[in-house]
Amino acid sequence: MGEVIVITSGKGGVGKTTTTANIGTGLAASGLKVVLVDTDIGLRNLDVVLGLENRIVYDIVDVTHGNCRLKQALIKDKRFEGLHLLPAAQTKDKTSVTPDQIRELCAQLKKEFDYVIIDCPAGIEQGFKNAIAGAEKAIVVTTPEVSAVRDADRIIGLLEAAELHNPKLIVNRLRPLMVKRGDMMSIDDIIDILAIDLLGVVPEDEMIVITTNKGEPAVLDNNSRAGQAYRNVARRITGEDVPLMDLEAETGLMYKLKKLIGFK
Amino acid sequence: MKKTKSSKGKKLFFKNETNGVNDPDINTDSVDTEQEKGKEGETVKARETVPAQEIKKGRQKRKKADREPAQDESGEFLPGTAIPEADEIIAEENEPAGQTKTDSRVIKNRGPWQEAFADDNTILIQRTVRSGQSVRFDGNVVVMGDVNPGSEIVASGNIVVMGALRGVVHAGALGNENATVAAFKLQPMQLRIANHITRAPDGDYLTPEYPEIARIKDGVVVIEVYQMGQDRQTKIG
Repeated sequence: MGEVIVITSGKGGVGKTTTTANIGTGLAASGLKVVLVDTDIGLRNLDVVLGLENRIVYDIVDVTHGNCRLKQALIKDKRFEGLHLLPAAQTKDKTSVTPDQIRELCAQLKKEFDYVIIDCPAGIEQGFKNAIAGAEKAIVVTTPEVSAVRDADRIIGLLEAAELHNPKLIVNRLRPLMVKRGDMMSIDDIIDILAIDLLGVVPEDEMIVITTNKGEPAVLDNNSRAGQAYRNVARRITGEDVPLMDLEAETGLMYKLKKLIGFK
Repeated sequence: MKKTKSSKGKKLFFKNETNGVNDPDINTDSVDTEQEKGKEGETVKARETVPAQEIKKGRQKRKKADREPAQDESGEFLPGTAIPEADEIIAEENEPAGQTKTDSRVIKNRGPWQEAFADDNTILIQRTVRSGQSVRFDGNVVVMGDVNPGSEIVASGNIVVMGALRGVVHAGALGNENATVAAFKLQPMQLRIANHITRAPDGDYLTPEYPEIARIKDGVVVIEVYQMGQDRQTKIG
């Protein structure tokens, strides 16, 4: 019997889909059976990030409307045997499915998979209600910006109202140097406001853009700092105790240049 | 399908759920346009251009395909599978031809040789079909513009794109294996003809700068350089 985890944020563009793709791939890379469910109907992205867009024949709306069997709609990942995707529909909208249908779907999926990870759409309307309907645990993604943290706070309140207690926090796109200069909220500032457990901190990383465009999750890239952070998050989800990575460590071109000419 | 007489005003279903208003761009005299308002999953109806037998055939094929999983890992060409969209195209009673304004005004003195040329209904879409938009038409579809990724064109006949085709297209959706898909830049996310499904290969691949045409040959979908005249001759002969 698997676990159903919803990944949500309230605000758009903070990295829900990227996080879903990377955590899912990270878990599948360690041999677990994982299914990623895209509930962002009408603005689907997860399939693109995973590079599986061209394989879609049936989607979540076809499943809930009974046009096909659940098995037919599940897309097997091209890299990992255990990773599957249930894509969202693009030509429909959020009202095409109901929370009850998603609950039923999650109940079916968790019989077969170790982890059912639901990618939630931005906002707090119907799409959000659908996404959290079947979930047992929640991960809230935020960036170190006042607006994102404010929305995350609102989401945590809504999750608690929906009986989803103790959500975990992922802080995405953190820039340690800016935090050091005092130009960006620090992890402590964020936790101070949100008062939930920290699951991981993902540093800003150009590799995310590159890997997303290629349809290859960053976790598979050993040189990517964000990928490393997501690998750690995946391990923490399975119950391992992994310390937070050292974000201060400098990388990148400038560092290499400095090292080369002997400044460091 | 060529023999069908009805060239009366068909209905175009241009679904764009995010936008509930009628689109003036595609409101022409010869074609009724109708925006599907509100509820999705609603049955899309179109007047008949396809003999009932053919539809039945299509249905049976679909049933057979239903038993097999749709997605396959290996190879560029996927085996024939079910056509989800086809369910939504439902044929109604054929209406006598030659009664509409269009017929009497445009096609006067339609002789036997014209019958040989005349294909069934065709819709012209003069704009870019964008992500999330879906065009379903019982007949041929011609797009003067691009078809972007995330969009969908389903036609019971042929599909011609005067631009870049990057979305999902389904020609011969009611089971017509002679249907073709032609485009200036044929780079579809997924290309379906009747009950055959193909998809773009993974990773980088060559994208030719010349028009291409996809059709079924010996049970497989093949893509070849579009050659003018070739089709013309086969059709008249």
